[in-house]
Amino acid sequence: MNYTRFVYANLLRNKLRSALTFGAVALAVMLVVFLLTMPAGLDALLNSLASNTRISVHNKAGIVYSMPYAFARKVRQVEGVAAAVATTWFGGAYEEEGRVTFPNFAVEAEHVGSVYPDYGIPREQLDDFRRYRDGALVGRQTMKRYKWKIGDRITLKSTAWAVALDLRIVGEIPIERSPVVWIQRAYLDEALIAARGRGLEIAHVIWVRVDDPNRVEAVMRAIDDLFRNSEAETASETEKSFFGNFFGSLKGFMTIVLLVTLLVATCVVVIAANTASMSIRERQGEIAVLKALGFPRHVVFATLLAESALLCTTAGLCGVGLAYAFTHGLRSFSAFIPALGPLGSFLVTPTVAAQGVALALVVGAVAGLVPAWGAARKPVIESLHEVF
Amino acid sequence: MGAKQLGKPGLVPCLAYGYIAVVMPVASGDPQPLVRIVRVSRVYRRGVDEVRALDDVSLEIPPGQFVAFMGPSGSGKSTLMNLLAGLDRPTTGEVWVAGRRLDVLDEDALARWRARHVGLIFQFFNLIPVLSARDNVALPLLLTRLDKRERLRRAEIALRIVGLGHRLHHYPRTLSGGEQQRVAIARALVTDPDLIVADEPTGDLDARNAEATLRLLRHLRTDFGKTVIMVTHDPRALRFVDRAFHLDKGQLLEGAEAARAHEAVAMAASGGVSRGG
Amino acid sequence: MLPFSYSARNLWNRPLRTTMTIAVIALVVVASSLFLGLISSLKRTLVSTGHPLNLVVMRKGSDNDGASALSQAAYQAIRFYDGIARNAADQPLVSPELVVQPFFWTREGGRENVLVRGVEPIALEVHDQVRIIAGRMFEPSAAEAIVGKSLVGRYEGTTLGSELRFGRGSWKVVGIFAAEGSSFESEVWVDVRELGNDAKRPLPYSAIRLRANSEADFWLLKDRIEADPRYALQAERETDYYAKQSESANSLYILVVAIAVFSGIGAGFGAANTMYAAVQSRVAEIGTLRALGFSRGSILLAFQLEALLLAVAGFVAGAGLSVVLAASVGHWLKGIGFGAATFTTNVVQLRVGAGDLIASFVLTLVIGLLAGLGPAARAASLRPIEALRRG
Repeated sequence: MNYTRFVYANLLRNKLRSALTFGAVALAVMLVVFLLTMPAGLDALLNSLASNTRISVHNKAGIVYSMPYAFARKVRQVEGVAAAVATTWFGGAYEEEGRVTFPNFAVEAEHVGSVYPDYGIPREQLDDFRRYRDGALVGRQTMKRYKWKIGDRITLKSTAWAVALDLRIVGEIPIERSPVVWIQRAYLDEALIAARGRGLEIAHVIWVRVDDPNRVEAVMRAIDDLFRNSEAETASETEKSFFGNFFGSLKGFMTIVLLVTLLVATCVVVIAANTASMSIRERQGEIAVLKALGFPRHVVFATLLAESALLCTTAGLCGVGLAYAFTHGLRSFSAFIPALGPLGSFLVTPTVAAQGVALALVVGAVAGLVPAWGAARKPVIESLHEVF
Repeated sequence: MGAKQLGKPGLVPCLAYGYIAVVMPVASGDPQPLVRIVRVSRVYRRGVDEVRALDDVSLEIPPGQFVAFMGPSGSGKSTLMNLLAGLDRPTTGEVWVAGRRLDVLDEDALARWRARHVGLIFQFFNLIPVLSARDNVALPLLLTRLDKRERLRRAEIALRIVGLGHRLHHYPRTLSGGEQQRVAIARALVTDPDLIVADEPTGDLDARNAEATLRLLRHLRTDFGKTVIMVTHDPRALRFVDRAFHLDKGQLLEGAEAARAHEAVAMAASGGVSRGG
Repeated sequence: MLPFSYSARNLWNRPLRTTMTIAVIALVVVASSLFLGLISSLKRTLVSTGHPLNLVVMRKGSDNDGASALSQAAYQAIRFYDGIARNAADQPLVSPELVVQPFFWTREGGRENVLVRGVEPIALEVHDQVRIIAGRMFEPSAAEAIVGKSLVGRYEGTTLGSELRFGRGSWKVVGIFAAEGSSFESEVWVDVRELGNDAKRPLPYSAIRLRANSEADFWLLKDRIEADPRYALQAERETDYYAKQSESANSLYILVVAIAVFSGIGAGFGAANTMYAAVQSRVAEIGTLRALGFSRGSILLAFQLEALLLAVAGFVAGAGLSVVLAASVGHWLKGIGFGAATFTTNVVQLRVGAGDLIASFVLTLVIGLLAGLGPAARAASLRPIEALRRG
């Protein structure tokens, strides 16, 4: 028999009430954790993909406005540029999907490895990508999603160009959250010449690696100056800024998500507080006797508060478990929701789980605070008089 | 007797009786009174009214006695009990228990004092329903520095003293009213207090259990040398106590008045049927 | 039968507990309504009413007009086909359109892709749900633009009369248009030739929209267009075209409904707690009622009714709050943007509509019923003698 057992025993006093409250808190934490995976997914993507020495160069008017392919060569000549690769949106739809379900680009095979050394693509795979015209490098997220293996052959039907390409998967981009697929620029170029007489003359984004992080600003200015008066004025920005802008439109949705999270959290505080106040009110006699026995008021307060905290925290742990199960089930049933982009990865990371448990703890403490304080602070003689 | 330090065993295992007997001197004729009430008044303000629950009461109680406070409801006997148990403070006057002055202590200091020096038994709500008998008895020991094993050991000893060694793991709802009261008494004992205070301990019990309870309280005084103070209007108490104080309307009855009150109670006791006060 | 006032009065008697339970249900109603409203609004914008007799003609294999490209020759060939409806001036209702997604900059400095549609004035007649609500239609070759009402205020330069900068140039906003809440309201319309020059497109058009004269003509036209060997084209009914666009929102809707249901269950648990406590505290009263002759059924009904009243009160509070909240959040954020997948931002006006409130109401009723059932059954099953003794 110790304080913990005492607190625990009090929770079992009214099993039904404790169970209902447990259920409510567990469900609430499950929802909150689920909702929090969305902004977490976005942050993780931004953090995982963004290095601080990569720059994107694109037409100032919009990516869709494109740049002449020749710009890539000029960019490589700018001082401070370690490597540059021209990428073009291919927009391929994978077989039965019929629509674009992952981003895919035609890139210059000879240069892509030097611009993305931090991706950790194995040397042999990059060599194979250069060697095989129909080669494709696939990001791990898409690889897992379709259960592809190196050596598989797939067909992508472009929604932006009037061609379909048969591809052979020669390597994997070993980044968990990377959905991207890279195909060979030269391959697309050939196919376009065959289809319409003109090759791939444009690029949408030129990715540049700068050798010195302190020179990033200077290099961006130099590149933009180079093309300022050309037919395609460029705008350079860091990779982080590029993706930040790209997903910037999701900010509104994120606000709603956080608002709903707040509502759910408030709701559950009220439920837990209701439970705590009912439970404490019913025990006035016992609480009076505890004080009479000599338990100091702060100890009485602590044990009453601990009840609420214990119940809510264990319920919170259960809720996190439920969230894991729910999101796992969601991902297995191919829950790719295009409208959400990276928000829809629904991955419960340790950070998000910890946030859920912390919320449960805070809920328990806040909910129990007023009833516990009210019951504990009265002088013992007042408590006794109320009861006897 | 001076105040005891908690942590020094006052209950020691003895093989003689198969359960535990106490090795503690029964102090009789010790000149220092355990309880000293000096001109104590307790006044409550209810809105504009003033209620004098106790009016200029003085008394002394020597150690090792079984004493009853008796009187009709509203006589102030419970108020007096609250004062010497350290549950309340007088409006005026001094309260001394075991050489310590209580009326100058604040709420938290009184709580600390109670934990060490008083064992309390109430009429109802004594036991925590979600704890077993043993855990209920061990409850006050959470306030000491004893480890878990020691706490449980002393709880078992106390339960054996009151004759419930076989009911350690029973929950209050499976115990009879009389048994529950005995568990409460065991709890009052377990911290080895200077003073045991019982508020209407037989009020909720039938005749047989009431007698058993009173007998047990007497046993604490005779065999363990405890000072037991009981507030009651049960006339049967007279058969067990060393001394009865009578109160009425907040005042301690003395002399002829006290004798008259005492006789009235005694008659009620021998009449067999106990009437409520 | 116990009177209705019995249930109502009992809720009134315990104001704090009743208020807390109503608050719980209200919060859940707000959360569900907001989310449901958001996705319904999204679905609404993705589904233009479209016109059932309109055909969307694109290059074969395109799944949206942003991905397609058509030549001048294809347009010239199609526009004189038989079966195409004509307007009062005997012009064929054929609208050649170019779709481009340039950057627009938000007030806070963010950057989004917005769909700019190059059209000819005839487009207003082919898309007859589009109406100019302020200003006027643009003049061709005058660097003028009309802006869909969802975009007004969200980006720099989108208000009537201002200079809107996108692409390589600057355009004067001469009109604002509405389109019955469809996705057209997230677009900017300009002269198709000017847009083609600005975007330096090799082919002048993305897609062609035309109105068939009748259902029979519709099918004839569709077959003829798709069979033409000179150009690889596909023709689709405009309403079907948009219905497909909205499918992506369906999975999101299901997800949001799941969230609403789970939060409803949680709230139900909270409400059940309150009801069980109510039963507990009124055991003696129930015993008395039963002893007086009220049947089990009437007790059950009375408690169930109490639970339902709590639920309905929670719904009313929550519904009002959610409408207000949706309006203020929507106003503050200037619309909610969606669109990582379609590459253009679809600006959704957050609105909690009747359908969303009905869905929330159903959810609330279910909460009330389920939360009340257990406690009501317990109350009804009390035996009069026991109840009187215990109380």
